[in-house]
Amino acid sequence: MAGQTLIPAGDFRTSYAADTTVFPTTTSRNAMIAGIVLVCFAPHVVNEYILSLLIQIGIFGIAALGLNIVVGFTGQISIGHAAFFGFGAFTSAYLSNRFGIPVFFCIPLAGVVTAAVGLVFGLPAARLKGLYLAIATLAAQYILLDFFARAEWFTGGSVPASAEPFSIFGYMLRGDKQYFYVVLAYVIVCYLLVTNLIRSRDGRALVAVRDHYLSAEIMGINLTKYRTLSFGLAAFFAGVGGALYAHYNQVVSNEGFGIDRSIIFLAMIIIGGLGSIMGTLMGTAFMVLLPESMEWLSVALRDSPIDQFLGLKNNIAFLREMAIGVIIIVFLVFEPDGLAHRWRQIKAYWKLYPFSH
Amino acid sequence: MTTKTLLSTASLALLLGSTAASAQAPISLGHLADYSGPTSDVGTPFGQGVADTYAWINKSGGINGAKVNVDTVDYGYQVPRAIAQYKKWSGADKVAAILGWGTADTEALTGFLAQDKIPDISASYAAALSDPTGAGGKAKPAPYNFFYGPSYSDAVRGMLTWAAEDWKAKGKPGKPKFVHMGANHPYPNAPKAAGEAIAAELGFELLPPIVFALTPGDYSAQCLTLKSSGANYAYLGNTAGSNISVLNACKAAGVDVQFLGNVWGMDENAAKAAGAAADGVVFPLRTAVAWGGSAPGMTTFMEISKMSDAAGTAYRPVHYVAGVCTALYMKEAVEWAAKNGGATGENVKKGFYQKKDWVPAGGEGICNPSTFTEKDHRGTLKVDLYRMKVAGATDAPLGDLVKNGGIKMEKVKTIDLPRKPEWLGW
Repeated sequence: MAGQTLIPAGDFRTSYAADTTVFPTTTSRNAMIAGIVLVCFAPHVVNEYILSLLIQIGIFGIAALGLNIVVGFTGQISIGHAAFFGFGAFTSAYLSNRFGIPVFFCIPLAGVVTAAVGLVFGLPAARLKGLYLAIATLAAQYILLDFFARAEWFTGGSVPASAEPFSIFGYMLRGDKQYFYVVLAYVIVCYLLVTNLIRSRDGRALVAVRDHYLSAEIMGINLTKYRTLSFGLAAFFAGVGGALYAHYNQVVSNEGFGIDRSIIFLAMIIIGGLGSIMGTLMGTAFMVLLPESMEWLSVALRDSPIDQFLGLKNNIAFLREMAIGVIIIVFLVFEPDGLAHRWRQIKAYWKLYPFSH
Repeated sequence: MTTKTLLSTASLALLLGSTAASAQAPISLGHLADYSGPTSDVGTPFGQGVADTYAWINKSGGINGAKVNVDTVDYGYQVPRAIAQYKKWSGADKVAAILGWGTADTEALTGFLAQDKIPDISASYAAALSDPTGAGGKAKPAPYNFFYGPSYSDAVRGMLTWAAEDWKAKGKPGKPKFVHMGANHPYPNAPKAAGEAIAAELGFELLPPIVFALTPGDYSAQCLTLKSSGANYAYLGNTAGSNISVLNACKAAGVDVQFLGNVWGMDENAAKAAGAAADGVVFPLRTAVAWGGSAPGMTTFMEISKMSDAAGTAYRPVHYVAGVCTALYMKEAVEWAAKNGGATGENVKKGFYQKKDWVPAGGEGICNPSTFTEKDHRGTLKVDLYRMKVAGATDAPLGDLVKNGGIKMEKVKTIDLPRKPEWLGW
């Protein structure tokens, strides 16, 4: 993680293990544990609408985390991430419908199958860079989407496929309140996995490829392997996220996995902070909550004096879409390093308060 | 014993209290509309018809004295958004019934509707939604789905029955060629199998289907394919917006083919937009008359129209009229439910079964008589075929064009299909 950390003066690291610790201070670890415990109470406190937003943040957050491995940590580009998300959704539905595998196992299996597909589509990354790679991943997007529309044995073709509700040891989980804990468990596991991946030898290799691929190659890092691997890893998390999405909605239609969704995934990690794990979750929350908050605004605006004065009526819906775009542009102008950077600055400010300068 | 008596008395009192309260409590309905998506061209007038009807119902005293809260949501024709909205309607903001829209989303919701016992009168007429028990064997059971009008499949059956007669009447030699055109999407695909089956039965030669997207675009390539294939009858499965593109492109390419429009594939607005290219398209009309036609119910419809057009001068296309009929059917079903045990989903479903050859009050002479039974949700099998006639320029306002006869819908034939059990659900 780049940027200044908050290590107290005189706190020296005497081992590599201490240098790569997940939580730099005891307080940060306790705060994280307390945060997770607090979130566990969410289903009993918040209403169903807020709960569904939290579930969406969790599901998309897992998929966005995968994209951050490719883009943020390995320095490649992918604009076909939503197709992998969709592939995971259809795979999980297919595995449980066709082979009767319990949904509990289908979700990680879908991740594995999607990872294999991701590896195949990651192969161009071995040779292509930058814009050329972007176009190659765009092909993945269109090939998979067309596959969804035509492979009736797999996806049901143009008719939406149904997905079983999540069940564990024969006990079926129905409703958002129970499903929330499934998503929460996956979020914790996935974020821990990636945090630890980045601390490992392979993780450092990925970062080295991003920072300077030539130097990395001279140091003995197999560029082809790590570039392709990053796509496989990204697809794994996209697949897990997609599978969670499928069993949450219990319906998978081939809409919603298009290029627009891929761009939203990119927006999530750019707004959250490229190469930041916590930033991914913040960016996802931002992108999920932004359209909703605009919706609240537009509901408040409807039939208000402003609406009547300007004669907006049905145009409010279009204004809402435009406002979302404008806010993203303004955000990127003023926060180019993402929410993670801003969060670090806030922490630094309060750390030194009232003597910050 | 005393405790038991006390408890039962208390619960009885509660029950009575709650029913007394619910008689006046507002009735909530969900309304999924497409005002911004690929089918918004026809979704806007239909949605407006539904919204105006409930505004008018509330103005004239509500249903059984209770106000109706209609939650209208523009879901942009996206299945995930429809499902997210449904979760709200089946959970926190519980609704008694839903007025739905598209085929993909309605079919995706079918299982949930049955599970949560929420009836849905959709603007999708996919035949798969008309088999409540799954007895037809072609579709999954859809016990809580309803729609007003002939199913897409029955409309195609009707049109092809006419086309076969038309071919004979014109005395043309050989077998006529039929082609299905539309997007690769559940809605245009819904009647594909049924259309191709009856076409083969009636002696048509089947051509490979031609795909064009649900949104307007350049479809010259499709028209050239159509021309070179030598098709005689082409079914347009999409909504008007993209059909206009096809009609224009095919006119430019000089294609000589009789187009058969889906029920959503042609209307007065589309005829105005396509101009001469729309001339001659044959399509089914869901109502006995169009806007301004002479029918006892037309005064009511004019009143309803005033809800969003105070001057009362707007010309309403066929989809608006169908939207009002759909909303009126739902209103009467809810009304029956409110009088017979409360406006719950289960009771509203029963409300649909109460009348044979049912015409809702206010829709006399406009809404075609429909009969729903517990085993068959095909409300009607009558297919009224009309031909769009466009004469001259179509620059004038729609109301004037219709008044001057610039745009005219000419009755072709009424096909009364038999209620075959083997046609149920596809």
